Amino acid sequence: MLTKKLRIGIVCPYGWDTPGGVQNHVRDLAEFLIQAGHEVSVLAPAIDEAKLPSYVVNAGKPIAIPYNGAVARVLFGPKAFARVRQWISSGDFDILHLHEPAIPSISLLACWAAEGPMVGTFHAAAKHQKVIYAIGPILEPAIEKLSARIAVSEAARLTLTNHLDTDAVVIPNGIYAKRYSNGISREDWSGNTLGFIGRFEEPRKGLQVLLDALPIIARFAPDVRVLVAGPGDSKEVEESIDPQLRRRFEFLGRISEEDKADFMSSIAIYVAPNTGGESFGIILAEALAGGACVVASDIPAFDSLLGSGEFGALFTSEDSTDLAKTVIDLLRDTDKRNRLSKIGKAHAQIFDWEVVAEQIFSIYEMAMVGGDKITLSSENRPWSRFLSRDEGKEK
Amino acid sequence: MKILIFVLVILVSLWYLSFLATRLDRLHHRVETSWANLDGLLQRRAAIALEIARSDFADPASSLLLTSASYQAREAGLKERSAAESMLSGALGLLIEDGQVHTNSAERALFEELSLLTAKIRIAISIHTDAVSSTQTVRRKLAIRLFRLAGSAPLPLVYEFEFDAI
Repeated sequence: MLTKKLRIGIVCPYGWDTPGGVQNHVRDLAEFLIQAGHEVSVLAPAIDEAKLPSYVVNAGKPIAIPYNGAVARVLFGPKAFARVRQWISSGDFDILHLHEPAIPSISLLACWAAEGPMVGTFHAAAKHQKVIYAIGPILEPAIEKLSARIAVSEAARLTLTNHLDTDAVVIPNGIYAKRYSNGISREDWSGNTLGFIGRFEEPRKGLQVLLDALPIIARFAPDVRVLVAGPGDSKEVEESIDPQLRRRFEFLGRISEEDKADFMSSIAIYVAPNTGGESFGIILAEALAGGACVVASDIPAFDSLLGSGEFGALFTSEDSTDLAKTVIDLLRDTDKRNRLSKIGKAHAQIFDWEVVAEQIFSIYEMAMVGGDKITLSSENRPWSRFLSRDEGKEK
Repeated sequence: MKILIFVLVILVSLWYLSFLATRLDRLHHRVETSWANLDGLLQRRAAIALEIARSDFADPASSLLLTSASYQAREAGLKERSAAESMLSGALGLLIEDGQVHTNSAERALFEELSLLTAKIRIAISIHTDAVSSTQTVRRKLAIRLFRLAGSAPLPLVYEFEFDAI
């Protein structure tokens, strides 16, 4: 697949040291491309420069701004802009891959400053992004420089077409499917167990919906247990749980990738009760790859990932009664459960990096047809020459 | 003071016009490269179609149909291009269903290449269409029409590929 060796620049808008879907995606993509023999440089904001892998260039300390119902750690400002320009002009890149270029971040700055084959990936999907996208007309001149746009899901593509009036190719987020396919079923995690992975303290992850559904589920399946994995303070959540239900809960804390594989093959059902703010749902892809039977809320991202119920069961979002009904139905019907997990596992292969990276790479090839390289855009050139002379004097 | 403001306004509008011109220039460039990409992929498709037409797999009738369709697609001018390509899509469509069950490995490889190419062409079309429509939107701007910033560059046409046909 990857014949010509390229110099690829990737810009990650969010702080490298904070966990997040975009960061994971950029890291995996960069490592995959490096393995394939390309030269990759990732520009990302970071707090601790010492901990960065060799392919990441620090753009400065990120600042926290509220965005999309969570806190985003991004970076912008004149100093960051100078760094971005310097990275672009010294990078000699064949192609630039910008992640989430429509929010104020170094991705947008890079889009502003560069010229040549550029690809943008849009991750976010939300109904209420008016605040950010209200500045659409200002963004337009920058965004239209992208030779090709990628959306990670149909939901992200819709957000893009609605707010910025431009289309995108849908390429899903990638997972290393093989890592999850060989999990070993552990006895203490198997039985009538429901699995949940994620930052359970965040309301949009929907643990509360599962909590509300549990009394009904317990009536039909007396031995049902819930395994919750993920970072966060479990004490507070545990105390809020009805004492009668508390013994059904087990908080595992953060688990490793290997544990995750075992987790997915042990549990009876993986439950994703998220109430929104999800654009892709990488955890569902991982659950499917691990051979878990998945029950998820019918928010757009999950609906499309699960093929409208073909690869996993859906319930009406935020409706705990419907969740309980769906779970009980599956706990009783082992055949259906096995069938769903088998179909799901086969489907999950389309999210494997081998497939996804090849799709992304073919977009790179299309963007590079003109044969140009990445340069600073004309309006930035004299300005940057002036700046670099200035920096030289300082030294 | 008045003169200063006047000069400032002139300078800002000059800067704005040059900004618009670069923006438009970039968009035209995007239209050209995305078209070059699409064109290249379509040429490759026509070549594969010819190869299929000449293979043992195609019966004489479909072979004739394919050959003429792929020649037309390769030689069509810009305006007839999309009609010609749609015809080729149609001719290929007739064969594709049979092609997938066909056992000869050489021909199966051809069909596999064709389906990979088709996926790429779909993406290339959407990229090109997007470039064309952004260019058209920007060219509708008053300042651009008033100052003829587009120069003599022709207004890019949307390539009306019958999307479902390929």
